[in-house]
Formats: sequence, C-alpha cells, structure tokens
Amino acid sequence: MKFLKVLGEYIGGIEFSAGYRWQHWIRAISIFVLIATGFYLANPYITYGAPSPTPTRFLHAEFREWHIIFGFALIGAVLYKTIYFFFFPEAKYERASIKDAFNIKLLFQQIGYYLLISKHPKTTGVYNPLQFWAYTLAYVLFYGIIITGLALYAEVYHQGLGGALYPFAKSVESFLGGLAYVRLWHHILMWAIIIFVVVHVYMAVYNAVFGKNGGMDAIFSGMKWEKEEH
Amino acid sequence: MLDMQQVKQRIEKLKKLPGIAPKPIPQLLEENGFSRRDFLKWSASLAATLGLPASFAPVVAEAAEVSDRLPVVWLHLAECTGCSESLLRTDAPTIDNLIFKYINLQYHDTIMAAAGWQAEENYEEALKEFKGRYVLCVEGGVPTKDGGEYLTIGPYAETGLHKLKRSAKDAAAIIAVGTCSSFGGIQAAAPNPTGAVGIHKVLDKQVINVPGCPPSDRNIVGTIVYVILYGQLPAVDNFNRPKWAYGLRIHDLCERRGHFDAGEFVEEFGSEEAMNGFCLYKKGCKGPYTFNNCSRERFNQHTSWPIQAGHGCIGCSEPDFWDAMAPYEEPLANHKFESIEADATADKVGITILTVAGVAIAAHAAISAIKKPKE
Ligand code: SF4
Ligand code: SF4
Repeated sequence: MKFLKVLGEYIGGIEFSAGYRWQHWIRAISIFVLIATGFYLANPYITYGAPSPTPTRFLHAEFREWHIIFGFALIGAVLYKTIYFFFFPEAKYERASIKDAFNIKLLFQQIGYYLLISKHPKTTGVYNPLQFWAYTLAYVLFYGIIITGLALYAEVYHQGLGGALYPFAKSVESFLGGLAYVRLWHHILMWAIIIFVVVHVYMAVYNAVFGKNGGMDAIFSGMKWEKEEH
Repeated sequence: MLDMQQVKQRIEKLKKLPGIAPKPIPQLLEENGFSRRDFLKWSASLAATLGLPASFAPVVAEAAEVSDRLPVVWLHLAECTGCSESLLRTDAPTIDNLIFKYINLQYHDTIMAAAGWQAEENYEEALKEFKGRYVLCVEGGVPTKDGGEYLTIGPYAETGLHKLKRSAKDAAAIIAVGTCSSFGGIQAAAPNPTGAVGIHKVLDKQVINVPGCPPSDRNIVGTIVYVILYGQLPAVDNFNRPKWAYGLRIHDLCERRGHFDAGEFVEEFGSEEAMNGFCLYKKGCKGPYTFNNCSRERFNQHTSWPIQAGHGCIGCSEPDFWDAMAPYEEPLANHKFESIEADATADKVGITILTVAGVAIAAHAAISAIKKPKE
C-alpha cells in the first residue's frame, strides 16, 4: 500500500498472552451484562400489567440467571488474572511494575505526562505507577463485589456451592451489619466499577492516540511495539 | 440438641420445684375453656414451629405444664410496649398468652396489678426468691450515653442500664424480646441521641434475640418454652436469633414469590396489579433481606401478615432496620445516603460522579489535542 513506508526501527514482542487477553474480554463483557441485569434486579424496569394466564413467566428469574452466569464468569476471570499475576512466568514483566509503583518520582512524572507538563516516563514493568495503583484499586473493587455477590447468592441457593459458602456468606452479612447492607455495598461497588471502566477506556484510547505505537492493539493481538532507542 | 430422654429428665426435675401459678397449668387452661385436646393440638403445632419431630408433641405439652417452675421476669426499658401488645392482645385468650400470663411474675408494667412501691417490692423479691431460676425477658433498648441517664425507672430513678445489669446477673436465661432490646430499635436509629443499644452490648452473658417490631406471640412464647424444655438456649444464627424462627428470609416463604420470579410487580398501591396480588418488591418490600417467619406464622392468631394485607415487609427483625431499610415503600436501590445534596441515592451519586468524570475527560481530551503531550 502507498502510505506504508519504513518509519524508524521498531522492536516488538508479546505483551499479553492469549489467556490474559481472553480473561480481559470475558471480564469486560461480564461487566456490561452484570450492570444491565443488575439494574433490573435492583429495581425491575420491565414489569407486566396483567397476570399471566399460565404460570410460565420467569422474567425476574431469567435476569437473575444471566446475572449469576456472568457473575461466575467474572469470578473466573478475576481469579485467573490474580493467579496469573502472582505465579505465571509470563507475568514477570507485570510483577516488575511493583517496583516502579513505589517509585514516587516515576509516579509524579506519569501524572505530569497527563497534565501535559512532562515526558512519559520509562518504566521497567508493563504498567506505569499510576496505572498500577488504579488497577490495584480495581481489584479491591472486584473482590468486594464478588464477596458481596457470593453472600447474596448463598442466601438464595442453599444447596451445592451456595451451601458450602453459607457460613462465609453469614460472616460477610454479620460484618456488614445485615443482608440489606450487603446489597447496598454490592450496588455502591458497581458504581465504582462503572466509573473505573469509563476512565480506563479513556486512558486506553488516549494512549493509543498519543502513544502512536499501536498500544491498544496489545489487548487484541498481544503484541506491543516500541520505537528502538539508539 | 438434647435427646428425648434428657428432656424428660429435665421435666421431672422441674416438676419437683414449686410453681408460681395459682393452680396447675392444665387445670387453669381447662377453666379457661381449653380442652385437653385443644392443648395437645397446640403442643403439636408448637413442636412443629420449633422444628421438632412430631414425637416431641407430648413432651412439649409436659414442658408447658411445668412452665410455671421457671418464672419469667419482664423488664421494660426504652420501648413502646408493642411487643407486649403482640403477645397479649388477641380477641380471645390463646393458650400462648394464657401460659404466658401464669408463668409471668407479678412484674410486668402492662399487666401487673400492683403499682408504686408494692410493684417495686415484688420485683426485688422475685429476683431474690427465684435467683438463678428465672428467665429474664427484656423489652426495649438500653440507653447508654451519659451513664444511661436517659432512661430511669422507679422511685429511686435507677437507670435502665443498672437495673438491666443487676437483673441479668442471676437469670437462668436472658431473652431480648423485640428489635429494640435485640438491636437498639427506633431509639438507636440515627442520630441515636441517647446512645441506645441492644442489651447484648452491655451484658456479658449470652442473650437470645427475638427481634421484630413486634415479634409474633409465637416467637416469644416459643423461645420461652424452648428454654424451659431444654434448659439451654436454642441454636441461633449470626445475630443470635433462634434458627427455628429466623432461619429463612420472609422472601423464601412468601406467598407472592411466584410473582417475584415472574417479574410481576405492583407499581402503585391500589392498582390493578395490587389487586392481582403481584409482588411488592418495587413498593419497597424488604422481604429479601429479612430473616423471620411471618410468612409462615402470621399475626393475630395466624390470621394475616403485612404482605398478605398488601404492604411490603419493612425488615423489622433486622439489625438497624430503621436506617438500613429506609425508604420503606421504595426498593433498597433508592436508599438515601447522607451527602452534600441531602439524601441522594447511590444511583444519583454515581451519575453525578460519572458526569463530572465525563466533563473532565472531554476537557482533558480537548486540551491534549491542542497542546499535545510531551513525547
Ligand atoms: S412481596 Fe416481598 S417477600 Fe414477597 S416475593 Fe415479593 S419481595 Fe419477596
Ligand atoms: S413482615 Fe417484615 S416488617 Fe412485617 S413483621 Fe414480619 S419481618 Fe417485620
């Protein structure tokens, strides 16, 4: 193609493994389905005016079913990612970000970059310090919503997994001061996640626009490109 | 749980103690027009309520017969007497409230004949005479702020806090009747000016909570009979409520649950949907967060209960329910939080933050587009 030409030298490599990318997108889809169904469960926005002539309607039950299915998908993705981060060999560069994260100078430089006053810092790990702390917070939110979600789940499904989780659910309930508070926290955490997602998407797009290194492509193809420094 | 043999032994032991009723309980029941058959039917139904096998019905009857051996002392703290009303006010005396009447010592503000100094004297004597043997039922929360001086009782202005501690010392069992004594109740609702708390917070003995605003007569008498029957406290849940009564949510046994699952909700009181008996979730029913057996036991001799009558559950047997469950006629998602803009819901706060974030993002993007970030 005409507009393609040699543009400096780029080095490339796999930034995100296939498992990583899958869990990211499973998580992303789950979050959207969970928000949509969750708003219904909190305050059903579709209702019937007339009773069903036959007792075969299960609208609320179906919303709940999808909420639970994607809830467990989210749990799977979050657990996978947690184990991946701490133990998988290919997460070595992610773990390297921990050191960067505690580098205050780097953190300020990163903030300065977004305030358009300093250059993008060079980091050793895959996440910059600001990003690292934002993601850490995101995981606090995820685990919070998972724990409250499972507590609500166990109270409805008393057998099988729900039964096994029941003592745990009860301790969550006591800790928060009753099932109503479990529900309230679940709802508040959802809002925190919504805000996180919006900012996250903006930051990803921003870096793709101004980074000009196909940064956003990494979460699809796994490949990261950087201009080689001479 | 004890087995039948141990229960029988216990009843034998109780039989030897002097009773406080004017005559043996079976005789009193008969004089009030209850046949032996009625009594046995009552025992069978109570055994079922308590989650005991049918074979326990005769033992429950025996326990009820000796129930006046473990007299009940009833202490009123910061409360409205609604719990006593629930127990005592029925159109005809039931076996539950007759038994309660005869096992109750002569100190219960609502029903005692004595007054003034005499009433106080009765109380002190009861504590002495039945030391280690009485069941202490407490109705009402206990104000603790400023040494508990927001509640004083009797001619010496003794604080409720002091009287409670003193009475609890020699009690065989302590039962918190109602949400106020269990969790503080309405006087403990924000901002809780008197520092009211549930009685378990100030006692170092185990308290069994029978919350509800009010609890049904069944749950009150059932718990007392259980204590008499076993000489120990029943199995309780995480908030010290007997599992036989508070093991399931209102929602689990609600007659409108089918409509809930179907997605059929009442939008307005008095509407077509309300007439069709649709689920009251959108009108604020807190049954999904409330552990109680109203849906099974009902009130007023099993006549009806709030949801049957067309209003949602307000979660009265849960800790902190005045604050936690508000607003009562809207779903929990509309819970109001204190905020700069008074009483915003989580959704409102969320949308506000999101809007601010959106504006900030747009501004940041625009500025970045003009004044590019440093490479
Ligand atoms: S009326 Fe209340 S308790 Fe009954 S099904 Fe609806 S939400 Fe549940
Ligand atoms: S239905 Fe709910 S609010 Fe009403 S008495 Fe029962 S637990 Fe309390």
